[in-house]
Amino acid sequence: MNARGGASRAVTHVVLIAWCVLSVFPLLWMIGTSIKPVTEAIGGLGSMIPRSPSAANYARVAGLLPLARNTLNSFIVAVSGTIITVFLCSLAGFAFAKYSFPGRDALFLFLLATMLIPPEAGIVPTFLIMKRLGWINTYWALIVPRAATAIGIFYMRQYIASFPTEIMEQARIDGCSELRIYGRLVLPVVLPALAAWATIAFIARWNDFMWPLLLMRSKDMYTLMVSISILPVSEGLSTPWPVIMAGTTIAVAPLICVYVIMQRYQVSGLTLGAVKG
Amino acid sequence: MTPHQTMRRIWKMRHAYAFIAPFYLLFLVFGAFPLVWSFILTFNEWDGLRPMKAVGLRNYALLLRDQRFLDAIGNTAVYWAANVVFILALSLLMASLLNDRRLGGRHAYRLVLFLPNVTATVAVGLVFRMVFDYNSGLINGILEALRLPVLPWLNSTGLSKVPVMVLSIWRDTPWYMLIMISGLQTISPELYQAATVDGAGRLQKLLHVTLPGLSPVLFFCFIALTIDSFRIFTEPYILTGGGPGSSSLSIVQYLYESGFTAFKLGYASSIAYVLTLILLVVSAAQVIAFRNRGSVVEEKTA
Repeated sequence: MNARGGASRAVTHVVLIAWCVLSVFPLLWMIGTSIKPVTEAIGGLGSMIPRSPSAANYARVAGLLPLARNTLNSFIVAVSGTIITVFLCSLAGFAFAKYSFPGRDALFLFLLATMLIPPEAGIVPTFLIMKRLGWINTYWALIVPRAATAIGIFYMRQYIASFPTEIMEQARIDGCSELRIYGRLVLPVVLPALAAWATIAFIARWNDFMWPLLLMRSKDMYTLMVSISILPVSEGLSTPWPVIMAGTTIAVAPLICVYVIMQRYQVSGLTLGAVKG
Repeated sequence: MTPHQTMRRIWKMRHAYAFIAPFYLLFLVFGAFPLVWSFILTFNEWDGLRPMKAVGLRNYALLLRDQRFLDAIGNTAVYWAANVVFILALSLLMASLLNDRRLGGRHAYRLVLFLPNVTATVAVGLVFRMVFDYNSGLINGILEALRLPVLPWLNSTGLSKVPVMVLSIWRDTPWYMLIMISGLQTISPELYQAATVDGAGRLQKLLHVTLPGLSPVLFFCFIALTIDSFRIFTEPYILTGGGPGSSSLSIVQYLYESGFTAFKLGYASSIAYVLTLILLVVSAAQVIAFRNRGSVVEEKTA
């Protein structure tokens, strides 16, 4: 490689490393602050490394909020919501990709068109419906409305389209039911795509804020996001930043874990299908 | 096909309809029905308790004279513009740097660069609120160390939109970067080699190979970014609460406030409909613009 190529490669690394630092820094700052005693300075760059780290803020934030219960709520909503949505979206995606039936294209176009309508457009009636159903302060309110999403079906259809149809024909001759073909033949093959989509769905549900803020009206039923959002002013007093950061660290940690475990199912592979289609 | 044959075909494919039914049923109950009800509410005055009062178009007329609403629209448009410019530019830059197959550590870079998108908006919103704090924030700490004037980021009407924009750019750029990477991978390397043979420089390759090849992806990103930006809620809610005054208030925030703090259900619904209308118009305009541009690109490459 010539000198010019080497120099431009070096510039590339410098730019990428700089953006990496910007990406990670707020998270490191958050964790660093969360283990500082509340009396230590949090402002200048000089206060980067905590002088006497302790876990006291974590104990204190757990005293301010029903944190264990809120975390459990978030887990229940995110995990069950993810499982249901992955199942229903892949099933519908399979039907759109592999069957030809009257009205298929019109139904699919309709599905795509629903993506242009913001869910907030019906927020007032949605709240009234939830109230009528008695779903305020229940997990149903957060799980059911998004149990099958247009975007999820869209992605799944892209993926399953590449599944060889001949194998399905063979299985049908052997007397397999359609549900069995989906479960035994298609699902195992598209598992990586399913895992990638599940990761995205889990992160989206865990992070969801506006809907739980609206539909969860008692402290015990708050999700973790709603719970930490009221941390800055709790019990009418302003909370010290290190204590708030202990709360946000607890809220972010499960996401980072899920991401690191699941990152081998490349999220980018999933987006490729979307753009090609 | 006769109607009878069609009916038989539908019956034969009933499993396919069963597989796609959940989406349409859920959309009917939690999508279409609220949408229609919401539309009816826009012509009424209602607090949810007393009987509804029909007011015709008065909610819309009031909106046009409501300074808080006009501010929310203006602010949201600013967030949208900032997102489109910075997120598209930054994600394209990062994606093209990462697209080099010979680059060492690509996977490690990608793993780290995607992290912001994994974090919870509420959580990092609180982190940014601390970092931008006037008295004890890191940003002002750095400015002070550099002997520059410290700024009231979150508490002044002139600056309050800045932290909101920084947060959404920081958090959303990686997502679009990933989409752009997969788009770049669909452009054939031979096109770049041919351009090199023809003596094209970096800028010429960007203009004549990368951008035309990426235009469907850019279009997808543009639409997605527009819809997401106009729906912004969490970032200003956590960082500034929409204030001071209405200087950082977003449309959805004002919708939420009108509906569930002030209990003006009809008024809130009309805000929701204006938002929907804006999104439909902007999406339609982009589709038309893209269609025209797309044909030009095709002619050039043909």
